[in-house]
Amino acid sequence: MIVSEKTITKTNSINQPRYGCSLGALYTATAIPRVIPITHCGPGCADKQFTATAFYNGFQGGGYGGGAVSPSLNASEKEVIFGGMERLHELISASLKIMDADLFVVLTGCIADLVGDDVPSVVAEFQAKGVPIVYAETGGFKGNNYTGHELVTKAIIDQFVGNYEGPKEKKLVNVWSLVPFVDTFWRGDLEEIKRILEGIGLKVNILFGHESNGVEEWKDIPKAEFNLVLSPWIGLDTAKHLEKKYNQPFLHVPVIPIGAQETSGFLRKVGEFAKIDLKNVEDFIKKEEDYYYFYLEHFADFYSEYWWGLPAKFGVVSNSAYNLALTKFLVNQLGLIPGRQIITENTPDEYKDFIREQYAHIAEDVSATVDFIEDGYTIGQELLKTDFGHKPPLLFATTWDRDVAKQLKGGILEIGFPASYEVVVNRSNIGYRGALSLLEKIYTTAISGSA
Amino acid sequence: MSKKLNLNTPVVESREQRLGTIVAWEGKASDLVKASAYSSRGCGGGECSLCELSSPFTQGSVCSEQMVECQAGHVRDAVLIQHSPIGCAAGQVPYNSLYRNGLRNRNKPVENIRVICTNLQESDMVFGGDEKLRQSILDAWERYHPKAIFIGSSCATAIIGDDIDSTSSDLTTKLGIPVIPMHCEGFRSKHWSTGFDSTQHGILRQIVNRKPKKQEDLVNVINLWGSDVFTPMLAELNLRVNYVIDLATVDDLAQMSEAACTIGFCNTLSSYLATGLEQEFGVPEVKAPMPYGFAGTDVWLREIGKVTHREELVEKYIAKKHAEIKPKLETLRQKVKGLRGFSATGSAYSHGLISVMRELGIEVNGSLVFHHDPVYDSGDPRQDSLAHLVDHYGDVNSFSVSNRQQYQFYGLLKNFKPDFIMIRHNGLAPLASKLGIPAVPLGDEHIAVGYDGMINLGEIILDVIAHTKFHKNLAAHVKLPYKKWWLDQTDPYILSKKPELIYED
Repeated sequence: MIVSEKTITKTNSINQPRYGCSLGALYTATAIPRVIPITHCGPGCADKQFTATAFYNGFQGGGYGGGAVSPSLNASEKEVIFGGMERLHELISASLKIMDADLFVVLTGCIADLVGDDVPSVVAEFQAKGVPIVYAETGGFKGNNYTGHELVTKAIIDQFVGNYEGPKEKKLVNVWSLVPFVDTFWRGDLEEIKRILEGIGLKVNILFGHESNGVEEWKDIPKAEFNLVLSPWIGLDTAKHLEKKYNQPFLHVPVIPIGAQETSGFLRKVGEFAKIDLKNVEDFIKKEEDYYYFYLEHFADFYSEYWWGLPAKFGVVSNSAYNLALTKFLVNQLGLIPGRQIITENTPDEYKDFIREQYAHIAEDVSATVDFIEDGYTIGQELLKTDFGHKPPLLFATTWDRDVAKQLKGGILEIGFPASYEVVVNRSNIGYRGALSLLEKIYTTAISGSA
Repeated sequence: MSKKLNLNTPVVESREQRLGTIVAWEGKASDLVKASAYSSRGCGGGECSLCELSSPFTQGSVCSEQMVECQAGHVRDAVLIQHSPIGCAAGQVPYNSLYRNGLRNRNKPVENIRVICTNLQESDMVFGGDEKLRQSILDAWERYHPKAIFIGSSCATAIIGDDIDSTSSDLTTKLGIPVIPMHCEGFRSKHWSTGFDSTQHGILRQIVNRKPKKQEDLVNVINLWGSDVFTPMLAELNLRVNYVIDLATVDDLAQMSEAACTIGFCNTLSSYLATGLEQEFGVPEVKAPMPYGFAGTDVWLREIGKVTHREELVEKYIAKKHAEIKPKLETLRQKVKGLRGFSATGSAYSHGLISVMRELGIEVNGSLVFHHDPVYDSGDPRQDSLAHLVDHYGDVNSFSVSNRQQYQFYGLLKNFKPDFIMIRHNGLAPLASKLGIPAVPLGDEHIAVGYDGMINLGEIILDVIAHTKFHKNLAAHVKLPYKKWWLDQTDPYILSKKPELIYED
């Protein structure tokens, strides 16, 4: 597929970033109802993570505890020279007095981690008094949103949920999937995941978003029968941790299901793992498929005889979760041809072969390759070098890739960080229902050339 | 007389060092004018009578490095390098959106910003990041062949002590283009406007043409991405516009020394650069209140006329616009009659907006600015925009300085119950919305400038007032994230006065 073999040497440089830093996981905290983050960092850190992750990325909004609400230390020269522990202690005390939250999550930035503030001891003092508060060391040089996300979830589990020896609750599952806010459509998508899992008879700790029951739901994590990791690798660390901590098995499904075919298969797999009555699973699948194929039948008129051409090849530039999910759907259920797949989240090396394997067998008769690139400039050059065949491709990418899409004369759907030309409220692209709205979006974009 | 700005070192002096900038204060505008003691400071001295408040509770603010992205990152044929871990690079997302919208606003081809992050890791914190900076500069050169490369420092690289000055100077020689270090780490200044100064300092030192050929009809306009209102205005005076810094080219920046004078829409933004151009290159800064309302715009235009020797053209233009605008303004005044406004924007900009709202007959008893500069770099009292506001349009009873502290803003909105607020920076409008109050977001900073600005602003206010239905409905259905204790307070600054309250049950 690649026309020119000239490759760009990978250096440390990153432009057009596809993620923020670990501190960006303050939006993992705000994604839990009534949880407020307290950031121990410089004056601009929280704002940068907000505007990039929750504003100019689908304009999701700060909600209850994000945006300009989150308490922050705004570290100055004084905290750099003398340390910021005293100030952090004061800020936490003031936050407890003013802010109405069920749980506070202290996140550190570069400054606190470099000057060596003993944040655990400051927070421990409050924890000892029974204050619902945890900390996570998320200095910007330690990783990105994705790694930060799991640091925060583990911090809440270890420091707030704590040990549990009681009985498990039948059919209760914890879901670890998309990363709140970074994944632009996480809200609608998690709602759909919860809906379909409940559909086959499970009880679901979805943990983030409107459908989460907040910290009470988090306290129920140890009671779950199993953990479901629904993503290529994010959440695996957490699930392994829970396996040890609460003796919970986990099911790992790397492909987030889009469309009836994949979703029904997914539900059968989960049903089997959770030992759910097959009839319950099949009844739900039947009902959902009736609905799905009713609309697909009507859509087929357009898909089979629209006169002015529809894209045949596509490219996906996104994190592995959305990349794999979309590629699987587009190839297997729409019959599109994969042109270029680029994964951007700085996937840990240990998972790369596993992910490559998924693409190698993307369909029974189709094999695809995938590249792991984080630097936006390089991504742009690689897309321009790609042979998308005799007509322009459809790109599933980000705002950064718009200029290249224009050069390729192709269409573009912004499906990941950052999506600055997309307003997202509760739209989903996955499962049964999300797939239908995804179809609408894909083909509205594809045919709008003459609009 | 000693120089106002020290351009001998690559490190810019922060606002608090140069101007005595504060970020928290409450009281009447007239008292702030007195406490600022503009004239005596301008003459180089004067005791500080300006007491800054502090509070045990703070919400996230904004940093200087963001302003560097906003300016150096928006020079069209330059590249900005963020010497930092990846978190700082998150700023590329919002600044790309502003850049793209700004380009469109100004009818230029829309494209992505060119900002590169050195993406430092934990090991770099131990061994230093100088080599990665060098690599990124070379990458910038290879990728874009820019006419200048800006280097922005970060909290992390400032703490570990990376030597961005040496690397920049070395590569300036090697590449033959200016490689400009900017010391803009967030913790170094309590107010982000130091970031403006940091960029402007670098441009003055390394880009502005040192052998200028005068262009007597060229006017430097220091702005952001605002729509092009200055070209038609200055064309009436046979003057041409040189917009800087955002959306400018490196050549536009270089020719600043050739201009007849320098003007701006906001002293907060233009103070350093305008003073530097006068000090180093003899380009006069137009010393006048900012161009808002009849009073400000009249004086401002006359000063431009004087400096560029176009007094007659200016008088003709003023007379023409007065005649044109006054009847329109009268109609508009009837429509906005009885409205109460509240300005919550950057410092000097707010002085201008309040003037315009008062020209429209809108009641403005309260306002919030993110910081206050007791004096601007020129030290010239004719630029004392707050005094101008108070003298020409009357006092503002509650003139709060609060660095984007949403919890304080709650108290102000509760006390003043405005019909709408004016905003530029993010973070305050969402709270107003949850209280049923619409905001006028001034992304295009030129909306309120000049005579037409009064009409433009009035029209936009009317548009936004119509949104009230949305916000009132929302307010009835959301809960604020503050405890009742705070929601019941009447003094937004109570914690500054009694910090011990945070320890009471």
